[in-house]
Amino acid sequence: MRTTKALPLALLALLVAVAMVSSGCGSNGGAGAATAASADETATAGDNASTDAGGTPTDGGVLKLATSFDVDPPTFFTGNNAQAFIAGSVYDRLIDYPPDSLEPQPSLAKAWKLSKDGKALTLQLRDDVTFHTGRKFTSKDVQFSIEQYADPKRVAQFQRTAAAVVGFDTSKPYEVTLKLAHPTSNIFDLLATVPILDRRTIGEFDTGKNFVGTGPFEFVSWTPGSKVVLKANKDYWGGAPHLEGAELEIVPNSQTQVSQLRAGQVDGIYDASFVDLQSLEASGQFQLLKLIGTDRALYVGANVESNVLKDPRLRQAIAYAVDRDRIANDVFRGFATPINLPWPSYSPAYSAKDNTTYTLDTDKAKQLVGEIGNVPTVPLSYVAESPNASASAQIIQSNLEAVGIPVKLEPTDVAQATKQLIGGEYPGLWVTEHSFGQFSPSTLAVTAYPFNAEQNASNFASPAYEKAADAAWESPEPKSPAALQAYKQINDILLKDLFLIELVDFDPVVAATPDLHGVTWTKRNELDLANAYLSH
Amino acid sequence: MSGALAAAAAPRRPSQARAALLRGQGLVGLVLVGIVVLAGLLAPVLAPYGPNEQLADGNLLESTAGHLLGTDEVSRDVLSRLLYGIRVDLLVIFIAVPIGAAIGSLVGLLASTWGFADVIAQRTFDLILAFPALILAITLATIMGPGVVTVSVVIIAAEIPIFGRLVRTSVLSVRELPYVEASTVVGASRWWVLRRHVLPNSLESLTVQLAVSMSVAVFVEGAMSFLGIGVRPPTPSLGTLINDGMRNIYVAKVQVVGPLVAVVMLVLGFLLISQSLGKARRG
Amino acid sequence: MVRYLIRRLPSALAVLALASVLIFLLIRLVPGDPATTLAGPGAPPQALAELRSELGLEGSLPSQYLSWVGSVVTLDFGRSFVIGGDIGTLIAEGLGNTLVLAGAALAIALVLSLLAGLAAVILDSRWLNAVLAAFSTAGLALPTFVTGPVLILVLAVLLPVFPAGGTPPGGPFEEPGATLEFLILPAICLGLPVAAALSRFLTESLRTQMRQPYVMTARALGIPRRRIVVTQVLRNALPAAMTALGIQVGYLLGGAVLVETIFAWPGLGQLIAKAIGGRDYPLVQVLLLLSVVVFVAIQLATDLIHAYLDPRVRLGGRSG
Repeated sequence: MRTTKALPLALLALLVAVAMVSSGCGSNGGAGAATAASADETATAGDNASTDAGGTPTDGGVLKLATSFDVDPPTFFTGNNAQAFIAGSVYDRLIDYPPDSLEPQPSLAKAWKLSKDGKALTLQLRDDVTFHTGRKFTSKDVQFSIEQYADPKRVAQFQRTAAAVVGFDTSKPYEVTLKLAHPTSNIFDLLATVPILDRRTIGEFDTGKNFVGTGPFEFVSWTPGSKVVLKANKDYWGGAPHLEGAELEIVPNSQTQVSQLRAGQVDGIYDASFVDLQSLEASGQFQLLKLIGTDRALYVGANVESNVLKDPRLRQAIAYAVDRDRIANDVFRGFATPINLPWPSYSPAYSAKDNTTYTLDTDKAKQLVGEIGNVPTVPLSYVAESPNASASAQIIQSNLEAVGIPVKLEPTDVAQATKQLIGGEYPGLWVTEHSFGQFSPSTLAVTAYPFNAEQNASNFASPAYEKAADAAWESPEPKSPAALQAYKQINDILLKDLFLIELVDFDPVVAATPDLHGVTWTKRNELDLANAYLSH
Repeated sequence: MSGALAAAAAPRRPSQARAALLRGQGLVGLVLVGIVVLAGLLAPVLAPYGPNEQLADGNLLESTAGHLLGTDEVSRDVLSRLLYGIRVDLLVIFIAVPIGAAIGSLVGLLASTWGFADVIAQRTFDLILAFPALILAITLATIMGPGVVTVSVVIIAAEIPIFGRLVRTSVLSVRELPYVEASTVVGASRWWVLRRHVLPNSLESLTVQLAVSMSVAVFVEGAMSFLGIGVRPPTPSLGTLINDGMRNIYVAKVQVVGPLVAVVMLVLGFLLISQSLGKARRG
Repeated sequence: MVRYLIRRLPSALAVLALASVLIFLLIRLVPGDPATTLAGPGAPPQALAELRSELGLEGSLPSQYLSWVGSVVTLDFGRSFVIGGDIGTLIAEGLGNTLVLAGAALAIALVLSLLAGLAAVILDSRWLNAVLAAFSTAGLALPTFVTGPVLILVLAVLLPVFPAGGTPPGGPFEEPGATLEFLILPAICLGLPVAAALSRFLTESLRTQMRQPYVMTARALGIPRRRIVVTQVLRNALPAAMTALGIQVGYLLGGAVLVETIFAWPGLGQLIAKAIGGRDYPLVQVLLLLSVVVFVAIQLATDLIHAYLDPRVRLGGRSG
């Protein structure tokens, strides 16, 4: 009887122990490397983290990447990583922004001129560009693409800007004039984002059967739930790419992605957690491509119509109570920096001073809470699937409870969260990420769901805010004195009314093999593989 | 099923089951389960910190003197979370499973006694069984939201047909036996037959199934947490702790060992208990 | 046999019918209006109305139900809103992948449990029994979301023997050799708990048979133990294990949700999770119905095999 008793136990323990030890063998004690090489905000324009010391590009090879979410043709313009993969390599845009500035660079448009009244933008187009089907690219394709983008059913971020283009002059094949309803300061944001579509194959675009563009790679196939396959476009106007092809695998589980990278099965992954990024970096065997300039920010939103959050003093208390440094270090492992405003340093609306208006000050927070009196429990919603949101929510809850604001966590799923965001239906607070601060400042104030002055997720309505947002938008130039004045007003409102409270900002990171070089990217996270190559 | 027939040949007394539990495998099983249960019940006494206390000591630490199982990414002591996390699973195991078992057994009993109820009950059982537990879980979570209550409802729903079928089979097989038929002929009422003959015989296969179901319940709770529809943060549970530990496996290996060992002990314990009761039944 | 099958059909169809009603009602129980959820809050009323009629939300409940059943029976499943594409195609592709995975897992489970059961009974070694008990407990105690990543860590990252998830380049049906490589780890992960449960049932069933008088008689006659087990005992022990098998196969589809996510195997499990999470109601309805159909079919199949092996059942006796 003795052996029967003890053996199952012992063997089981042995099994578990072996599994644990061997799982630990491949790792590195990354915990100490907290702020090591992580957030390098001072990187310069040319340094896209894939600069190589190793000289000449080699031709050939297929780049394999992995990401969690699949392509969804009806909402292609919302730009998740898979859609960005296609948009970045299969399509070109009229202009491109460099990672760290808002100066438009020529792409399909060679030169451009804005009329004096700011209501007409004329662009000279390249005449040596063909679609992957062989058809020449002309001004009519520009009109078609912008009109498609403006269609509300496509739920595009810059839809409002696209709708401001009320007329086109496509009489000349290599020149297009956009007639604007009013001067539009973020018109170049639109042109840096709209992929130039082939009007003949739009039906196939809608069903995801074929994506025809002018870009350095041609679409080969999409197996839903499985992978996207691209091959090199040898006749690309910018010169044939070095790579033979590129593939994107859909791998829902973040840890599996990390395993695939470690096993050499893929060359780059989009969705490693920051904890994994830390240990990948510490191992010295991988490179971290920080997509500088694509800017994401974590924020706490507040539904100002809810009873408990009506009082701006409570929102102020929250702004003082949250420990941004902790979130930046513990959740984002040093890859993020605390902020109060959504603008990166090169944005015309950026203000270093204003960006540190609210720092951790529990005394002030407690004082404000004391003034209010009895604070009922505030719900804090977040997407359960996202480890960043979940961990941040728990830290925020602890911070707020320490100053006397009781918080109840409300985990939701993506579908519910999207609905609540678009409809302004959050019961109280919520924590999630937003982007688009990296574009012209008016973009946030007129198009982003959390910020839109007309109708936003916080249900914040203010004539002053709408006025400032419109003034910022309807200026012909993003840096004109009137525009800068409008940005200042917007910043003041953001900091005073606090209908959302910025926490930290960061750039997404792609963990990759050190053999990958020459990758660039747009501000929308779209990797541009035109000059990328794999050394061996 | 033939085992049930053989065992029902002569009624076993509860004392024999008890005797089986206190020897050999059964004892080991009891001890394993007992350790985990005790650890959970004594959590307020044993745990060095609160389960949701975020400490200034440090983030994602490995095992140290102050934190035997390290800390997690929100700077909480993992050992304390483990002890309190066991409590959530105890709730699920010792409340949800028995409730499901009770409802299922009752329905099974009723079904086997009255003919027309039988057909309805059988189809209902098949209906519930037709939906794999995890898919049922995802669907329920979409309607009810995630949380301990949802987890419990899923487990209760999953247990009902299992126990219902078990009891029904048991009752039907006992009813066929000569001495039971004889007692009916002599004038014993349905209830008397149930109480005197059916119940004692079913009891042992019920307890075996109870043990198995409890170990499955632990698994379901963990799987739901993996899918993000289980116990709500910041409340710890064995499932959420295992998931957190797996996520941080490269950085803080020790985090996952604690809850995993607790789960293994629970499951192994229940299985040993069920095995020893099964042996006793067979004689 | 055919008569037995016909006798079992009505109850199977009844379950299907009840399930379809339940599924139909379940979708309408989810909070929020399906049309608004799918179209987005900014959608104009006309788009919403179109969507409602496409989703079959117009008219009285009974008429909605009937038209849905009608469309399903004619295999006209409609369009998926969230994932995009024709539902029929999505399901066909996913079904193929999941069948391959579940089939492999089942095969592994059957082989392992047969070996374990036979070894336990033929060799009858105390040491072996302990080892088998340990492995079966490990299989049942270790959750799938632990064994999966651990298998990947050990057999794909540390020792690069197998790929770390994913599918072979041409899809699972192109090249059997490549498919096998990608299939082994997820199949083991999915099949392990089933193997553990089955081996326990089978071993118990075999042991019960071994205690029967006919075995003692055979031994007394000098027939070697191995022959008795393989030719007689096994056949008698299988029926009881069959019922367990039916329930275990039901587990496979649920377990597939986890395993397919971890190993990036694009099958129905992943599809169901995505569909429910994305509130893709038409797709969810069809998938749930499919899962019920599969379950009922498998129950019928195991009942048939049970009846084939155990004449008493076939002839109308009550045996479970």
